[in-house]
Formats: sequence, structure tokens, C-alpha cells
Amino acid sequence: MRRWAHRTHLAGGVIALLGGACHGAARQPAGQLTLTDDAGRPVQLAGPAQRVVSLAPSITELLFAIGAGDRVVGRTVYDQYPPAALQVPSVGDGLNPSVEAIVARHPDLVLLYRSAHTDAAAQQLEQLGVATLVVRHDALADIGRTARLLGRATGRDSGGQAVGRSLDSLLAQPLPPVRTRIAYVVWDSPPIVIGAGSFLDELARRAGAENVFHDIATPSATVSIETIVARDPDWIAVVRDSAGDAPPAWSRRPEWRAVRAVREGRFLLLPADLFGQPSARAPEAIARFIELLSHRPLAT
Amino acid sequence: MKWLLLSAALLAALLAGIVLGPAAVPLSDLLHSPIVIDLRLPRALLGILVGGSLGLAGASLQSLVRNPLADPFLLGLSGGAGLGAVLAIALHAGGPWAIPLAAFAGALLALGLVFRLGLVGGAELDPRILLLGGVAVGAFCGAVMTAIVSLAEASELRNAYLWLWGGLSGASWDGLRVVALCLPIPVLVLLAAARPLDLLALGEEPARHLGADLRAVKRRVYLAASFLTAVSVAVAGVIGFVGLIVPHLGRALVGGRHLRLLPASFLAGGTLLVLADTLARTVVAPRELPVGIVTALVGVPLFALLLRRWTAY
Repeated sequence: MRRWAHRTHLAGGVIALLGGACHGAARQPAGQLTLTDDAGRPVQLAGPAQRVVSLAPSITELLFAIGAGDRVVGRTVYDQYPPAALQVPSVGDGLNPSVEAIVARHPDLVLLYRSAHTDAAAQQLEQLGVATLVVRHDALADIGRTARLLGRATGRDSGGQAVGRSLDSLLAQPLPPVRTRIAYVVWDSPPIVIGAGSFLDELARRAGAENVFHDIATPSATVSIETIVARDPDWIAVVRDSAGDAPPAWSRRPEWRAVRAVREGRFLLLPADLFGQPSARAPEAIARFIELLSHRPLAT
Repeated sequence: MKWLLLSAALLAALLAGIVLGPAAVPLSDLLHSPIVIDLRLPRALLGILVGGSLGLAGASLQSLVRNPLADPFLLGLSGGAGLGAVLAIALHAGGPWAIPLAAFAGALLALGLVFRLGLVGGAELDPRILLLGGVAVGAFCGAVMTAIVSLAEASELRNAYLWLWGGLSGASWDGLRVVALCLPIPVLVLLAAARPLDLLALGEEPARHLGADLRAVKRRVYLAASFLTAVSVAVAGVIGFVGLIVPHLGRALVGGRHLRLLPASFLAGGTLLVLADTLARTVVAPRELPVGIVTALVGVPLFALLLRRWTAY
């Protein structure tokens, strides 16, 4: 069995090479799909995946967005959106995936977010004969590409294309002028902020707000409070699960009162289900951001 | 002369901590800038108190368990503090001080548990029992903490570990006042135990023959040193290497007599931590390094030099 899986895998590689040389999937056996994932691996599928396990909340959301929600048979414990996704059984933590829990869902395709942890799990699953597709979508520009890839993998091409086009037109719009400056604070002690490597930086910019930590290339970074004071953002943006308009508890700590936006109660409270992950709802997130910028400061 | 050197080093570190930082503050504004007055100054002073406490606690505990490898966090307090902090986050405890208070409570709980274990079956804080008890309690707390983090679904919990490595970023005048109020009694208790600790260095039997009331001294030293560590972890998280390395630096500088070693460890610990924190804040600005990494990067080479000197004999 194992040898057989190994051999088809080799054959898949050869077909992928031939496919590349002959320009197109037309010469492949009927129904067979060859995709290239974000790890650069060719992925061979006998046909559009019918039973998909998603190991990242952002992938689950994208699957539902392209109309492939009915194909999802497993999700992570951290999934929040859409509500229908919560009906799907959880297979646990997506970053340290439990191979056993995944295999128990009998998937024909497992989707992983690319990281050092998930590479090992992908390999294990491949050895068990389960196809895996590794994706990495950190920037807004990646969402459309990933949506199209997922559309092909699940036979929901038109859905993937629709999401891709929506994101393309969003990105084709000229950037609005910078009207205000913000800092995302994701953790208070040590203070961790969002840098240019995160889609949140792009969302703010497209809402007319410049991230004062745009010069930091990584998605997030630890900084000193005095750096936040010196860069003096007009707003502090906070992504959080809970509803309500109470400012975060740490904003009452004396060391944070040195930050002008904290003293003035200028917090942008961003709901995690819309801002917690890069998603097809990026246009909605930007609109919400613009709306929040017009609100008055919170009382602190 | 040596004391002058130690004090001068501490003052220089304090000055560096106030003058240097990721934000540019002109020298003329130094005394008016809120960045200096509200952020750098309390942070540098807190660094002195926390680093000093860890140095002092480390020196005392190394003498108590008669093991040069002892570190204030070896006796399970970091596990207890981490568990307290994670519980506070998981239960959504409100208020700006909830996490440090919960961490302090957790550290005290671990302290009590290890103390009780250290007395089990008349062990009277036998170093072996104390060390094993500390490691066991720390591991148990760590396991419970990991279980909570991996089972609970609150996304904040994924950041709970960060708190433990928080360093001095939470420094403020309010926090500094609380710490300054907590320190004098345990510090005095430890300094008062200097003479019996000298005797203990000769071994338990000789110390007893020379008239030391070991039972009481060991309990007092354990409780005072652990209390200092619990205060430190509540305000600054787990800062490694200071409590391990500084006592050895102190011994190399002023010798093993505790009346000199303990104050020297306090001064050297404060100096090392403030210097490390200043480096952590500035070398990769605008980003910041975890201070524990810098204490290790600065401390371990010093330690290696010391080891070389010892083995050269």
C-alpha cells in the first residue's frame, strides 16, 4: 500500500513536469488535477477534493467564502467565522496538528498554513496517503491567489475566481491620502505591535490610516512604550474577541498613560472575527475601519 | 575601593538607562521629558531593585542549598507565577493589576508548597529535598499551565507565555512604590543571616557546633529569598541568569563572606539588569529584545571567564 502511494506520487511528479512542458492540464487524465502549492510542491488530486480538513481559521473562512463550505469536514479549535463553520467538527490545534484526529475525518485533502510546525505534519499526512496543500496568505494580495487555488482544488472555480476578482479590484484602487496615524497594540506586556508584514498594516493604509510601525518589516514586533510615545499615533487599534466599547484593561496602567492616544481614549476596537485573519471580507473590514475612525474617543 | 567600583558601576548603569533609549530625547529636555520621567526613570530604578533582589536571592539560596548551580527560579516560583498569570487571563480577571497580582499569588503558593515539602519527614530544608521539591513543584505548575493554555479557547491565552518573559516593560512609579515597600524586610532578614550563612558554608554539623540555630536561619533565608523572587517575577516576569551568575561575580570580587557578598550581589545584580535592559531597548530599536536574552548574552561570557579562573588553579 505504502509502495503504491509512493509510486503514484512519483508518477504525479512526472505528469506535473509534462504538464508544465505542454502548457496545460488538457493532457492529464480526465478529472485529474495538478496544483502547485505555496511550498512550491506539485500536488496531485484524482479530482476536486470532496472531504477537506482545514488547519487554519483563515483557510476555513476562505473555503466558505468561495462556496466550498460543504466540502469542509474538519476545522481548528480557533475557528470563529463564518458561524456555519462552527458546525464542522474540530480536529484541534492547527499549528501543532494532531495527525490522528485529522485522519479520523477521512479527508481527501488537508489544507495547512505554511510554517515550520506544519511542514512536518504535511509530510506525515503524505506518508499516510492523504494529499496536502500548503498555503500561505499573509498579505491582501495573497488572498485572491489563495482563493483561486482553493477554488481549483475543491471544484469551486467560479467561487474562487469571484473572490479573486473582488480582491483584485480592491487592490487596483489607488491608495487614499493618509488622514491619520495609528499603532496596532496586540499585547501590552511586553508591548507587541503590528508591522508592515501583516495584512492589518495594509487594511489601515487602505482606510487612510498610516501604521506608525510600518518601518518594521515583520508581521509583529516587541517595542518599548517610549517608542510608541515618540511616534505618537493618533489612535491605538486593538483586535479583540469580546464585544463592548470598554477600553482594554491595560490602558489604565500608569506606564501606558504616557501615550497620548491612550490618555485621550482614542482606541479603535476591531472585532477579531473580521480583523483577526486575512479574509475575503477585506473590503468590509476597510469600510468598518473608516467608520470607526469617525467615532469619538472612548471615555477612560 | 571595590565598593566604590560597584557603586560607580551601578550609577553609570542608571545614568545609561536614563539617557539612552529608542526615542531621541535631547539632553536639555532630559529632566522635563515625560519619556524620561514617566518611563525610563521608573524602569531603570525597577531594574535596580529587581536585579538586586535576584542577585541577593541567588547568593542566599546558593549558600542555603550549598550548590553553586542554584538559581532563584530553580525552586519552582516561575512555574507558580506563570500558572497564576495564565489563570488570571483565562478567567478574564479584570483590572490593570490582575495579572501581576495573580502571578504573585501563584509564586507565593509555589513558595509555600516547596517550603512544606522541604520540611517533610523532618527534612528541615535539606538541600536535596528542597531542590527536588522545587523542581517538582515548578514542573507540576508548568504542566497545569500548559494544559490550560492548550485546552482553553481564548485567543489571549496564546500570548500568556509572553507575559512570563515580559521583562521591565511594565515599570511605572506605582509599581516601583509597591516593590520598594516589599523589599526592605526580606533584604534585612537576609543581611542579618550573613554570619550564620558563613558558618553554614562550613557544613551543617560544624555550623551547629559553632552555635548557629540552623533550623530558624534556614527557614528565614528560604522564605526571605523566595519572597524577593516572587516580587521580582510578579513585576518583571522570569529573568534568567542574573540570580545564577551575579553571586559568582560577587564572590570573585569581594570574597565569600556573606556580610560583603550579599550587598555586593545586590549592587552587581542591579547593575547587570539595568545595563542588559538598556541594551535590550536600544540595540535593535525600534524593536526590543527580551531582557532575559541580553542578561544571558552579557552574563554567560563573564561566567565563562570566571570558570576559567577557577579551573586554572
